[in-house]
Amino acid sequence: MLRRFEYTQARSVEEALALWQGSPDSRYLAGGTDLIPRARATGRAPARLVDVKAVPELDQVRALPDGGLSIGAAASVARVATAPEVRQRFPVLATCCQALGSYPLRQRATVAGNICNASPCADTAAALLDLDAVVVASGPRGVRRVSIHELFVGPGQTSLERGELVTAIELPAASAGARGQLGRLTRRQGVDIATVAVLVTVLPAGSLRHRVALLSVSPTPMRVAEAENLLDQKGPDGAAEAAAIARAACRPIDDVRGSASYRRDMVGVLLERAVHALAAERGGRGA
Amino acid sequence: MTIAIQVTVNGQLEALEVEPHESLLGMLRERLDLTGAKEGCNEGECGACVVLLDGRAVNSCLVLAVEANGRAVTTIEGLGHAGALHPLQQAFLEHSAVQCGFCSPGMIMTALGLLNENPTPSEADIRQALSGNLCRCTGYRQIIDAVQAAAAALGAAGQAGRRP
Amino acid sequence: MNARWVGQDVPRVDGLEKVTGAARYTADVKLPRMLHAKVVRSPHPHARVRAVDLGKAARAPGVRAVASGQDFPFHVGIYLKDQTVFATDRVRFVGDAVAAVAAETPEAAEEAAALVEVEYEPLPALLDVRQGILPGAVLVHPQLGSYQKVPWITPEAGTNICNHLKVRKGDYEAALRGAAHVSENTFVVPQVQHVPMEVHVSAARVDLAGKLEVLTSAQSPFTVRHLLCACFNLSHGDVRVSVPQVGGGFGGKAGINLEPIATALALKIPGRWVRLLIDRAEEFYAAVVRQGLVATLVTGVDRQGKVVAQKMHYLWDCGAYGGYGVNVVRAAGYTCGGAYEFPNVCGDSIGVYTNRPVGSAYRGFGMQEIHWALEQQMDMVAHELGQDPVEFRLRNCLGPGKRTVTGQVLDEHAGRVDKCIHKVAEAFRRPLEEKPGLLRGRGLACAVKAPAMPNDAASSVLLKFCEDGVLEVLVSGIDYGQGLRTVAAQFAAEALGLPLHQIRVRNLPDTDLSPYDWQTVASRQTWATGNAVLKAAEKCKAQFFEMASQVLHAPVERLALEGGQVVDRGGQGSVPLTRMVMGYQFPDGHTIGGPVAAAAHHVPEGLLFLDPDTSQSAKPVAKWTFGAQGLEISVDPGTGQIQVDRVVACYDVGKVVNPGLIRGQTFGGVVQGLGTGLMEELKVDALTGRVRNASLVDYKIPTSEDLPGELEAHFVETPQADGPLGARGIGEHTMIPTPAALANALFDACGVRILDMPLTAEKVLRALQAKRAKE
Repeated sequence: MLRRFEYTQARSVEEALALWQGSPDSRYLAGGTDLIPRARATGRAPARLVDVKAVPELDQVRALPDGGLSIGAAASVARVATAPEVRQRFPVLATCCQALGSYPLRQRATVAGNICNASPCADTAAALLDLDAVVVASGPRGVRRVSIHELFVGPGQTSLERGELVTAIELPAASAGARGQLGRLTRRQGVDIATVAVLVTVLPAGSLRHRVALLSVSPTPMRVAEAENLLDQKGPDGAAEAAAIARAACRPIDDVRGSASYRRDMVGVLLERAVHALAAERGGRGA
Repeated sequence: MTIAIQVTVNGQLEALEVEPHESLLGMLRERLDLTGAKEGCNEGECGACVVLLDGRAVNSCLVLAVEANGRAVTTIEGLGHAGALHPLQQAFLEHSAVQCGFCSPGMIMTALGLLNENPTPSEADIRQALSGNLCRCTGYRQIIDAVQAAAAALGAAGQAGRRP
Repeated sequence: MNARWVGQDVPRVDGLEKVTGAARYTADVKLPRMLHAKVVRSPHPHARVRAVDLGKAARAPGVRAVASGQDFPFHVGIYLKDQTVFATDRVRFVGDAVAAVAAETPEAAEEAAALVEVEYEPLPALLDVRQGILPGAVLVHPQLGSYQKVPWITPEAGTNICNHLKVRKGDYEAALRGAAHVSENTFVVPQVQHVPMEVHVSAARVDLAGKLEVLTSAQSPFTVRHLLCACFNLSHGDVRVSVPQVGGGFGGKAGINLEPIATALALKIPGRWVRLLIDRAEEFYAAVVRQGLVATLVTGVDRQGKVVAQKMHYLWDCGAYGGYGVNVVRAAGYTCGGAYEFPNVCGDSIGVYTNRPVGSAYRGFGMQEIHWALEQQMDMVAHELGQDPVEFRLRNCLGPGKRTVTGQVLDEHAGRVDKCIHKVAEAFRRPLEEKPGLLRGRGLACAVKAPAMPNDAASSVLLKFCEDGVLEVLVSGIDYGQGLRTVAAQFAAEALGLPLHQIRVRNLPDTDLSPYDWQTVASRQTWATGNAVLKAAEKCKAQFFEMASQVLHAPVERLALEGGQVVDRGGQGSVPLTRMVMGYQFPDGHTIGGPVAAAAHHVPEGLLFLDPDTSQSAKPVAKWTFGAQGLEISVDPGTGQIQVDRVVACYDVGKVVNPGLIRGQTFGGVVQGLGTGLMEELKVDALTGRVRNASLVDYKIPTSEDLPGELEAHFVETPQADGPLGARGIGEHTMIPTPAALANALFDACGVRILDMPLTAEKVLRALQAKRAKE
């Protein structure tokens, strides 16, 4: 049952911040696809919701002058998944967006909401981690840029300060053109939360090119730097070794979707497969 | 405290006073007696409540009524009626794509949202788009066939992409 | 009869209202000044109820009625009255109803429900069915011996056994001693949920004259009325039950469910409608579920590969109450041998109470569960003997002249499982394509089921013509998608030679207005209602002929019905039915006959009770429907995931009444079967008794992406002697063999056997690893 709350709508970031300040228990509302069912299930709703979807700049997906990309906090996952600049330059994010929820759900859900909820299985977090995204947040103390690597603190917990509003997520120019392979294990073939997901990404340039992100196997979405380094050194030949590192690095639990031991094993299997698939793709392209 | 909103529902402008915590699904069903959209889970997992919001398929149980302010909502009731069925409705009839019928309105609206976006979907596209609309009766085969047939019929009629 | 309508792909007659959103389900019906109900449920799997204090709840804002077991200590149950409207002395599962409130808004009801104070004294809980039959086990129903019941179930007072059916045929022990090979295995099936898209909902009002009206999502309005009358000591005339459109049932809405709670609240506040609409979470843990099963089979075969001795021990987890489940136990008993002829049989089907969710009917009524065991066992024995599983099945299967486990000799009308096996085997001749990195396999399983119902289970219909010449067909089965309305129209059109647009099926059953129907369960409606429609149509025809005989001055024997007219085959003219539907008026004004109408019923013929000690009976059930399914799968050896690539289903349905509808029944059943086979399981916490996956987030059912790439439905038509135009039931059968065929395909693909359903990727992977470790 959805408890009573106050609904307010902001037309600007400043107004959103002010509205948030106006009540002791406020929450920003973007897509609402996590917030609303959770409020129903727990029987607890915030005192005030501050809807930020009418803030014009939050709805934008736009190229940054330096070649990066800015994704407004209110842009839907469906929109991000199909935006030409995302598909062409940051296809890894498009892939992870497509993996999130169902088709109707993606029309409402937002990338910002997905990461602010900080679930260990947040699908878009895998891409944002691999692409070294930066979260732009406005708060009572001004605008802050938070690396995605510093955002997730624990299940449902972020490093955002009270009252801070994520306005955009920026993908750096250095990540443009990155290619990735998402291995995602679910209990059925249709829509499901990942029991385990592994995203292996290769950046187009630089000596530290590999990225490995894991979902649903630790309190937060995570990267495995050691496995990445190994892949940078050994390429596909290091797949098995990287897999072993990732298996050791993750901290899965038992739940209704799978056991910890199965999850751990699958991290290895999915990682190896992703690495080989990426190599095959590269080979196929003659690169 | 209620909030005054104006929503275009199936082409009619409705001025309503809604509660902040009222869902779009609740508003459609309780205030407007549009009961085609169903409550199957109230958490966005079953798709029985899908309607179009500005032409896009959404789970109306996850949308607040106030969020529809100033926007256009299309429900199954706005799609067609006896003697003037939408090609999707016609195809669902002809392909035995309906059994108990509880999921049918949401299923048809999701399919419509898909066809609005992609008038020539492959079978894989259809399966993916409908994957959030649960049906316990049909096994989906005839539903997929119906959506394919409707896409073909809409294409032939040059209506693909038409937004009701 | 040269069928014109029966056998045709007639579009669903209730399709238009369903695709336009016009169809109204119970929660769609606006009830004036309706109150909203909320149930207070036990958080304990087993506890004594010390006290229930409704005071605070009753005084909460918006509350209009409160009720508990103190006011309503009445027993309810279809076959065994082991449940009360609200728990009285003790609660027996997490979710057991203790009290309920009715308030002006759903919010007020929920808030008030939280104010009901219940004092519990927790008791040790019985959460494992295998513990339930051990000496000294926790007793779930200490009063079992005092409950009312039907005569043909046998609860054992002082134990947890709510029913036990023994099947004894031939000399099992002796035959086993003589067997050349013996195989014993134990199989497990977990509790699963029906997951109808429409959850349970019931509304009730007692008017100021004392009449109770109930609007409910149910499979059986007449049975609901009958049981409500018994529960609340009301007369049938004082209770009216009607059923709007139903959004799926699958057995979960058979018998009686939320209606007594809604009624109890309504009795507290005469004049007001009270609606109880549970939420999806309650649907998972508090509504009924399919029973769990632990099945141990012993098979003895001779040197030729013929089964000579078969033991079947079925231990059913009935959950906290067995009111309906006891009959699943019984059905599994008299069908314990599945589709096979076993000459020497020792069968025991035992229903056991536990402190788990309540077991009840579920599509297949125990058959998918026992086939999970039987059909894997047949495969395993065949492989142990080095024989082809198809040949092994054909050698041992039932057919005309063969004897079932209850000693019934099947006749030539019984349906042919051998033909279904052949059809699937034929489809399997196509070579299995290799897929890189995947293990391919195929498996087959057979299925059989009879309608499980009382020997006098009846369906009745009323046919009446309207002024415009349209025939109105009143049937009282529930059409929740299986197509009863459409096939009833087809049978009526066929029998009276009318075009389909001149048939109007009236079917939103209302016990005050509709003809009696026992229940919509057991795949019985096409068969029972179909027969009744044909009989009523004959009576209408006789009325037309009587009039026409006078009009045409021809003896009735010379008349025939052709193209909407009664024709004198002697060549002396004809008279259109439309001139006679309201009676015939001669040119001089005098009138004969009157509005043409007829009622008819169908009751199974010649059924005989089972022998209480051996369950032998020459005709225990009305009919059998046989079938077989073959599955082709791919197994990912790295993850253990199974992909189902192709399903070939074949059933002997007697007569295909409507190809589109029967394909829908087949596809739907197969996919539901894949759900239970691959992913579905109610996860009940072994300590707390709570359902850990009581949501659609955590309990997964198949989606459009889970359906196999290829689905084929084939049908054999061996006419059923007492079936309407030869038809027999098929609704449930389509999901019976699927999980077993899946398990057999898994063995074929990679040599591992998994005996506990479902075949999750994790289980498959671990089994593969264990096998590799052994090699």
